[in-house]
Amino acid sequence: MSDDGGLWLLALGPAGATGLYWMLYRYYRNTDKSHAFERETDVQAQAVTGADSDRKIDEIKGTRETRISGDNVHAYRNRVKRIRTDSS
Amino acid sequence: MSNNSKLPPVPPAAPTGPGSPRDVPPAPGSFPIDPATLPEPIRDELLAPDPVAIDTASEELKDGLNHCPKCGATDIRQRPGTDLLICRFCRHEWHGQRVEEEFGLGEGLDKLSGTIIASGARDIAADAVNLMSFKCSGCGAEVTINTENAMTARCHWCRHVLGVNEQIANGAVPDAVLPFHIKKDDAVARIRQFVDKRRLFALKEFKEQFTPENVSGVYLPYMIVDGRASADVAGRGEIKTREYTRGSGNDKKTYYDADIYQVQRHVDFTVDDLPLESSAARGNLDTRTNTNNIINTILPFDTKNAVKWNASYLSGFNSEKRDQNVEELRPELEDQLLSVARCQVESSVSRFDRGVRWEQESLDVHGTRWVSMYLPVWLYSYHQPGKNGGMLHYIAVNGRTGETMGSIPVQQWKLLTAAITVGTFLEAIAIWIIGSTS
Repeated sequence: MSDDGGLWLLALGPAGATGLYWMLYRYYRNTDKSHAFERETDVQAQAVTGADSDRKIDEIKGTRETRISGDNVHAYRNRVKRIRTDSS
Repeated sequence: MSNNSKLPPVPPAAPTGPGSPRDVPPAPGSFPIDPATLPEPIRDELLAPDPVAIDTASEELKDGLNHCPKCGATDIRQRPGTDLLICRFCRHEWHGQRVEEEFGLGEGLDKLSGTIIASGARDIAADAVNLMSFKCSGCGAEVTINTENAMTARCHWCRHVLGVNEQIANGAVPDAVLPFHIKKDDAVARIRQFVDKRRLFALKEFKEQFTPENVSGVYLPYMIVDGRASADVAGRGEIKTREYTRGSGNDKKTYYDADIYQVQRHVDFTVDDLPLESSAARGNLDTRTNTNNIINTILPFDTKNAVKWNASYLSGFNSEKRDQNVEELRPELEDQLLSVARCQVESSVSRFDRGVRWEQESLDVHGTRWVSMYLPVWLYSYHQPGKNGGMLHYIAVNGRTGETMGSIPVQQWKLLTAAITVGTFLEAIAIWIIGSTS
C-alpha cells in the first residue's frame, strides 16, 4: 500500500455518503425515469450503411484517457449540431 | 361567459439539468450501487418485488368479443376490466371497433409519405369553447358538459346519459380511446405495493395521509405517431492500438495509443405508434418543477387495441383535453426520431472500442401519420408544500399494463442522516486500513 493509495482511501467516506444519498433519492423520487422510447417502440430499421467509408484521419500516442473526449455513443438524447435538409 | 377562447399555447421549454429525462433512463431494476452491500433495512426495501406489469404483447390484452348493440337505452358504461361496453338497462354488451383495422393504421408504414392527420388530430379552432350544451332528446332539457374534464353527463331531469360523440374542433374528442383494463382495486394494490417499497425515508406527512383509495382514473390525451424517416450522423471514433504502463512503483501510469477515424452512418427506419403528450402541461418534463416524467415513464400502451371513439367509455372517469396541434408536436417528434436513429446506429460502431463522439446529425422525415387518442391512467397525487407552490407528486398506474411508477417525497433529514452514517462507517474502515498498513 502506497501513501498515495492511502490518501485516496480517505475519500471513501464522503464518496460513499454522496453515492448512497443520490441512489436513494432517485429510488424514491424517480427523477431519472422517463419513457424509454428507444427500446420500447416498435422500430423497423433497414441495415445501417456507411461502415465501409470509415477512414483513419489521425492517431494519438500516449494519452491517459480511457475513452474519446465527448463520447456520446450511448447518450442518444444529447442533441449535437443539426444539419438541416429541405427535402422533407 | 362560456367563451374560453385562448391564445395558442407556448411550446414548453426543453427540460435540462441533472437527472432530468434528457438522460436515457436506466434499465429496469438496475441500481448504481449493489444492494447487497447496503444495510439491511435499505436492502430489504430495494429488493422487495415491484408491482407486476403485463407485457403489452401478451394474450391477456387481446380479447375481443363482438356483440351488436341492440338496445335503445342510453345508460351505457364500459364493463370494468374489459374493452366491452355494457348497456345497464338491458345488459347487452358489445365491443368497440378497433381503429387499427378500421382505419388501416398498422399498414403501409414503409410507404408512408407526407403528413397524414386523422380527423380527431386536426388543429384546434381558435374560437372553440369548452362548455357544450345539448338538448336532451328524452325530455328537451338543456344539459351542459364541460369538455375540459368530462365527456358525458346525465340529464338531471330524465336521467338520459348524453355523450360528446361528434368531433368538435376544441381538441376534446380524439380519434380513439383505449379503455381501462386495470380495475381500481388492482390499481390501489399496485400503488400500495410501490409505496411499501419506499417507506423508510418517505416524508412523514405523506405516509400519514397515504390513502391510495383516492386514486382517480383519468384519460390523458396523446398523439400516436407512425413515421418513416432517414437519419445521418457523423463524428469521430477511436480504436485502441496499444496499452502500456510507464514508470514503476508509485508512479506507475497507464497510457494508450489510438487511431482516430472519421465515422459516418446512415439509417432508414419506420416507427410504429410512438406516443407523444398532446397537452402542453403534461409534455413539460422538467423534474425540478413537476413530476410529469412519472406519467411519461408508464408509457407505452398497447395502442393497437384502441377502439373508435365512443364517449360511453369515459363515463365515470375524468379526462384531460388536448391543447397541442400536430405542428407544435413536430419538434418533439423529430427529437425522438433522432434519438431512435442514434440508438439504431450504436451497434454498427461497436468496433470503436474507445467510443464515438457524434458531432453532426440530420433527419429527413419522409412521412408521418397522426392519430389522437385518450389513454387510461390511474393517478394518485400528493401535494408537498414548499417554495414556488411546492411539488405535486404523482404515482401513476398504466390503465392497461399495470406498469407503476411514482415519485415519493423524501424526508431530507432522515436520508441525510443515513447517508452520513454509512459514510462515517466507510471512513472508519478506511482509516483503520491506512492505520494498519502504515
